[in-house]
Amino acid sequence: MSKIAFGVWDGVVHDPQAEAEGAETRLSALTNFDEFDEGNGIRAFFGDRGFFVFDENVSLVDALYHYMNKAAEQSCGACTPCRMGTVLVRDALDKMRRGLDSPLDFDDIEMLGEQMRQTSLCGLGQTCAVALLDVIRNYRDKVETEIAHHRPIRAQHGMAYMTAPCIEACPSKINVPRYIDYIRDGRPERSLGVLLQKYPMAATCGRVCVRYCEMACRRKFVDEAVGIKTLKRFVADKQKGPQALKFTRDMIRKPLDDSMKIAVIGAGPAGVSCAYHLLLHGYQVDVFEKSDQAGGMAQIGIPSYRLPKDTLAMETDIIVELGGRFLFGQQLGRDFSIDELFTRGYKAVFLGLGCQEGTALGIEGESVARDGYFSGIEFLLKVHDHVDGIERLDMKGEVVVVGGGNVAMDCLRSAVRLGADNVHVIYRRTREDMPADEEEIVAAGAEDIHFHTLTNPTRLITENGKVTGVELVRMEQTEPDESGRRSVRPIPGSEFTLPCDTFIAAIGQQVEDGTLVEGDGIAFDKWRCVSADKGLATSRPGVFAGGDCVTGPSTLIYAMAAGLKAARNIDDWVQLGTQRFFKRSRMRDLISDNRFLASDVVEAPVRNAYRVHNPELDPELRKHMFGEVEQTICEKEAYAEAQRCMRCYRIYSVVTQHAIPEGAS
Amino acid sequence: MCTTDLAQLAARDPEAATISLTINKTACRAFPNETILSCARRHDIYIPTLCEMDDIDHTPGACRICMVDIVQAGRDKHQIASACDTPVREGMNVATRTREVRDIQKLQVELLMADHLQDCATCVRHGDCELQDLAQFVGLTENRFFDRERTLAREVDTSSPALIRDMQRCVRCQRCVAVCRHHQQVDALAMEGTGLDRLVTLRHGTDQLNSTCVTCGQCVLVCPTGALGERDECERALDFICDPEITTVVQFAPAVRVAFGEEFGMPAGTNVQGHIITACKKIGVDIVLDTNFAADVVIMEEGTELLTRLKDRSRPTFTSCCPAWINFAEIHYPEILPLLSSTKSPQQVLSTIAKTYLPEIHGVKPENIRVISIMPCTAKKDEAVRPQLTMDGAPETDVVLTTREFARLLRREGIDLKDLEPSAFDDPYMSEFSGAGAIFGTTGGVMEAAVRTIYSVVNSKELDQIELEQLRGFEGVRAATVDLGGPFGEVKVAMVHGLGDTRALVEKVLAGETDFDFIEVMACPGGCVDGGGSLRSKKAYLPLAIARRDTIYNVDRKANVRQSHNNQQVKTLYRDFLEAPNSETAHTLLHTHYTDRRREMQQTVKDVWDDITMSSVVY
Repeated sequence: MSKIAFGVWDGVVHDPQAEAEGAETRLSALTNFDEFDEGNGIRAFFGDRGFFVFDENVSLVDALYHYMNKAAEQSCGACTPCRMGTVLVRDALDKMRRGLDSPLDFDDIEMLGEQMRQTSLCGLGQTCAVALLDVIRNYRDKVETEIAHHRPIRAQHGMAYMTAPCIEACPSKINVPRYIDYIRDGRPERSLGVLLQKYPMAATCGRVCVRYCEMACRRKFVDEAVGIKTLKRFVADKQKGPQALKFTRDMIRKPLDDSMKIAVIGAGPAGVSCAYHLLLHGYQVDVFEKSDQAGGMAQIGIPSYRLPKDTLAMETDIIVELGGRFLFGQQLGRDFSIDELFTRGYKAVFLGLGCQEGTALGIEGESVARDGYFSGIEFLLKVHDHVDGIERLDMKGEVVVVGGGNVAMDCLRSAVRLGADNVHVIYRRTREDMPADEEEIVAAGAEDIHFHTLTNPTRLITENGKVTGVELVRMEQTEPDESGRRSVRPIPGSEFTLPCDTFIAAIGQQVEDGTLVEGDGIAFDKWRCVSADKGLATSRPGVFAGGDCVTGPSTLIYAMAAGLKAARNIDDWVQLGTQRFFKRSRMRDLISDNRFLASDVVEAPVRNAYRVHNPELDPELRKHMFGEVEQTICEKEAYAEAQRCMRCYRIYSVVTQHAIPEGAS
Repeated sequence: MCTTDLAQLAARDPEAATISLTINKTACRAFPNETILSCARRHDIYIPTLCEMDDIDHTPGACRICMVDIVQAGRDKHQIASACDTPVREGMNVATRTREVRDIQKLQVELLMADHLQDCATCVRHGDCELQDLAQFVGLTENRFFDRERTLAREVDTSSPALIRDMQRCVRCQRCVAVCRHHQQVDALAMEGTGLDRLVTLRHGTDQLNSTCVTCGQCVLVCPTGALGERDECERALDFICDPEITTVVQFAPAVRVAFGEEFGMPAGTNVQGHIITACKKIGVDIVLDTNFAADVVIMEEGTELLTRLKDRSRPTFTSCCPAWINFAEIHYPEILPLLSSTKSPQQVLSTIAKTYLPEIHGVKPENIRVISIMPCTAKKDEAVRPQLTMDGAPETDVVLTTREFARLLRREGIDLKDLEPSAFDDPYMSEFSGAGAIFGTTGGVMEAAVRTIYSVVNSKELDQIELEQLRGFEGVRAATVDLGGPFGEVKVAMVHGLGDTRALVEKVLAGETDFDFIEVMACPGGCVDGGGSLRSKKAYLPLAIARRDTIYNVDRKANVRQSHNNQQVKTLYRDFLEAPNSETAHTLLHTHYTDRRREMQQTVKDVWDDITMSSVVY
C-alpha cells in the first residue's frame, strides 16, 4: 500500500504522523490503491468526499482541472450554480495550469465552489467542489506555489469517472439518472437510446428485471426508491406505431468483411445481448438455438402474464434487423460441436447455454414419481406450450410447489390460471427469506395461494408412480450464528402430509447434461457450471461463455451484462488476440472495494412524493387468464416519477504515473 | 386543471397545520409536507423566487434563488436549503435574511446573469421583468461573469408567424415546459442539451413553425423574462396607419376591452372599449370596427350550420372560432376535422366583410384597405397567414397585434389610456354588437350566444331565460342539456377550455363515448379573457381572468340587444349583402376549410444515438 502524503476525507485532514503511529484512520483503511493498472501507480485520488495524495509532486491545480472538467462536461445544466460554476471554475483552473492569468483567483474559486456545494440541485453539483474546497482551505500554499511562476504545469496522466449508486448496482451499468433525465426533459426516445446502448431487450427488462438499481437508490432514505424499472418499461413501450425507433444498419460502427463471423450458442438473454453487440461491432453473427424461438429462459421460463411473448419477440427480432441470423433447432452436442464451428470458419464462439435442467430435491419417492411430478422449469415449459396453443394443460386438485424463488412464484401463479383448486407453496425458511421479488410474492398472495413457510418436504407419496401426497416437516430457525445469519432445522416429530395431485420442485436449475462433452475442451467448475475467467473466456481459446451457464441460475440483467462484456472481449480477442485493460471497470473496483458509494444518508429534508405503480388487472379477473397483469404507466405518471430522481451522481478521478491503457469502449 | 391551488390551500383546515417551526424567529404553523416557501408566504414572509410558480404547481428547483438557512430540530448544524422544494419539519428554524443567505442569493442572480443577454432596453419585458425585479431585490451590484459572445451564440427562433423564442434571454425556469406539458398538455416543448447548452426546445421538429406547437401562447404568459414573446408587428401596423394612401381598419376582440386597462394602472376588469376607440382615432386609424359585431355574424352562420348538421344527424359539431384549437385539431387530431364548423372566426369574418361590404358602402378601393386586429391571442397571428384565408392572394387580416403589442404601440405614440376621454363607435355598419357577441370572450360564451339564436330560429320566439347559468362554470369541461323544442328537442352541449381537457374530450369523442351535439372549445384556460396574447402578470398565471369575465357578463347584461340575430347592423348586412345565413355568398365569404397537418416523427436508433449527450455512449 502506498503511503498517503496528505489529504482530506469527510472533512478530516489526514495526519501522516497519526498514521505512522499506527492509529486507525479512514485513509489507512484504503485498499487496492497500489497501482491502477500493471506498473502504473496511483499518485492521487479525488472524490465526492475529499481527496488524498500519495505522491507529493502531484500538481493539485492540474488534477482539480481534470476533475472539474468532468463536472462541467457532465453538468446537466438544470440548476444555476452547477451549470455556471463548474464552467467558471474549470476555465479558471485551465488558465492557471497553462501558466496564464486567470480571471478568478483562489478566493473567487472558493466562493463559487461553496456556492455549488451548498446550493446545487443534485448530487453532482453538491459534491463536485468538495475536494476543491478541501484543497483551497487546507493546502492553499501548495496551489499558490504551483502557479506562482506563471509557467505551464506539466500534464499529468489519469482519468475521471462519473457514476451513481444505481449505476454501480446495475450489472449492465446503465446510466440510470441519465435515462430518467431524458424522460423529465420530454425525450423518452433518447431515454430508450441510453438503454439500447447497453442491451436490446429494454421492454423485457422493464417488466422482469430484479432491480439492483432500485435497491441502491438513495431516494429510499426519503420515502421509496424511484420506480426505475417502471420508467424503463414506459419508454420501451413507446416503441409502437409509426413513431417507433427503427433499427438500421448504420448503427453498426464499422462493418467488417464476411469472414469475420462469430457463433453464438443459445438465443437467451446472454446470447441475444452478445449477438447484438457483436453485430454493432461489425461482425457476422449466427445464433444457434435448440428450440424454435428466441428468448431462452425469458421465452419459456417467464409466463406471459409477466412478459407477453410478442414483446419479447419484437426485441429478439432486433438481431435480425441488424443482419444477424437465428438458426433454430440447432442443439450443441446433438447437431454440431464446437470443433465443427471453428472448422466452418467462425472466429470465436460464445456459449450462452443457460441452466435449463431442474434440480431434484433428492427426497424419498421422487425418483419413482412419473405422473404428476415436474421440475419448475419443466412445468413452465408446459405452461408456455399451453399459452402458445401447442398443447393444452388443464389442472385440478391440489398443486404443491417447493421453492421460494421467482421460478416458484411463476409456477404457483401459472397453476392458479390453469384451474388448480388449491395451490400451495412450500418453503423451508421464512417468507422474508424468500429470494423471489417482493412484488411477485405479494401478487401470488393476492391470487389466493397458500403459503407454508418454515416447512420442508421429506417424502413424496405415490401410487403406481402417480403422485398422491407429500410428507412435510415443520422447520424452526436456529439462533443467529456469528455472522448474524439464522439457519433452519427440522422439528422432530412435526411431520404431516398434504394431499397432492401435482408436485413441482422449483428449487434450482443446472446446465443441461450432454450439451458439452469432454472433446469440446471446455472446463466446468465444481457446481457443474461452465468455468470462465473474469473476461468470460473459457478454458478453450476463442470460446467465451456467459449468463446462467457460468453463474448458475441468475437474472436477466446479469445475463445481458455478460453478453455485452463477452462481445467486447471477443472483439478484442479476434482483433488483437488478447483482452485489453478496461479502465472504467478498474475504477468501479476501486469504488466498490473502498465502499466510496456507501449509503450516505440524505441530510436535507426532501418532500415526500411516493412512487407510482404500474396499474394491475384485478386479481379475480387475472386468475383466469394469461394476459399481462401489469400495465404501462401513463405520460403524466412518468413525468411525476422521473421528477423523484435525486441524481446522486459522484465524480471520482485518479492521477497515475503513466498513461492508462485505452481499452475497448 | 386551470384553476389555482391557492383556493384549495386557503380552504385547508387550520387545525391541519400541525407542524410548528420558526421563520426569522416568528412562530409559524405549517401543513405536513408543505414547503418552507408556501409556509412563509402564508405568514407574509417574502422569499425571492424566480423559476417557481405556485399556481401552476411548478417547483423545479432550477434557479436556486430561494435559498434559506435551516437548522433542523435537535441539530446544531446550519444548512442551506431551497425554500421552494424543501418541506417543513417540526421544530425547524428557518432564517431568510442572514448575511450568508443574502450573499448566496446575490451570487446566484449574478450567475444567472452570466449568460443572460442584458440588452434590457431592447427587450419586450423591459420594466416588466421578473429577473430585473430579482436583481433589485438581491441588490445586485456586480456582473463579473457575463460572457456576451457565449450568450449571443444561442438560438433565436423566428420561424413562427406568432411567437418568437429568444434563448439568449432564457433563464431555464421551465415554466413554459410545465404549462405546455401539464396544463395545456400539448407537450410541444422539451429540454435540450446539457450544461451551458441546456435550453428549451421543440419536442418535434427543428423550429417552432414545424413543431407540434399550436401557438396558444400560454407559455408566453408564464415566462418571467423576454425569452418568449409574440412576433412584434407594431412597426408594420404603424406603416399602414401612417400611409395616407391606405385606409386602416382596426378591429378589437371581445376580451381586449376588459383586459387592457390593467396595463395603464386601471383595476382589473375595467371596460375600456371607449378608450380604445379614442386611442385608435388619435393615432390615425381611419375606421374602428368591433370584432363583437363579427361574433354576432359568426353566430348566424354557425348556428344555421349547426341546425343543418343536426338535421343530417352529423354530430357533434365543434366550434371553430379559436385559432389555437384549429391548430391543435389540424396537428394533433386531424381525424376530428370533419366535425369542425366551417364558419370562419370573428376576426376573419370581420376582415372579409371589411374588404367586401365596407368598400361598397364607404366607396373605398378594397385594395387600399388594411385590417389591423387587436387580439388577446398569439394564435390569431397564425390564423391571419393561413393560406385558406386570403383574398386575391392577399391576407384577409393584414396585421394582428396582441393586447401587449397594442399597449407598446400606444406608449410609442405617447398615449396613456387613463388620460383619454372614451368615445363611441362611429361606423354605422359594423360596430354594433349584441350581448351575445360580447360574451364570446369567455369560456361558454360562444355556446350561450349560439343557443340564444338557434332557439329563436327553431321556435320563432326568444328564449325566456337567456342567461344560461349551467353554461357559466369554470370547470375544465361543462356539459348541459338545452331544450331547443321543435323537431330538435333536447340537445346536449359541452364547453371545454384549456387544451388539456380538450384533448381528453376529443379522445372521448373519437372513441364514441360521448353523445354531445355541439362542443365549444377555447384553447386558453378561461377562454380569451386569459388568452396567450393578453397582458402578462408577474409571478402568477390566470389571476385576473375572473374579474375580466365578470365585466364581460356585465356588458351582456347592459346590452340593449342580447341576441345576435337581433343586432340591427347584422340584419342590415344580411339584407343588403349576404342574403341569408349559409347563403352562397355567405358560404364563399365566411366559411373555410381545414387541412391535416399531423406531424409524425420518424427516427432511427442511430438518429437518437447521435443526439445523446454525456456518458453511457458506447456506439
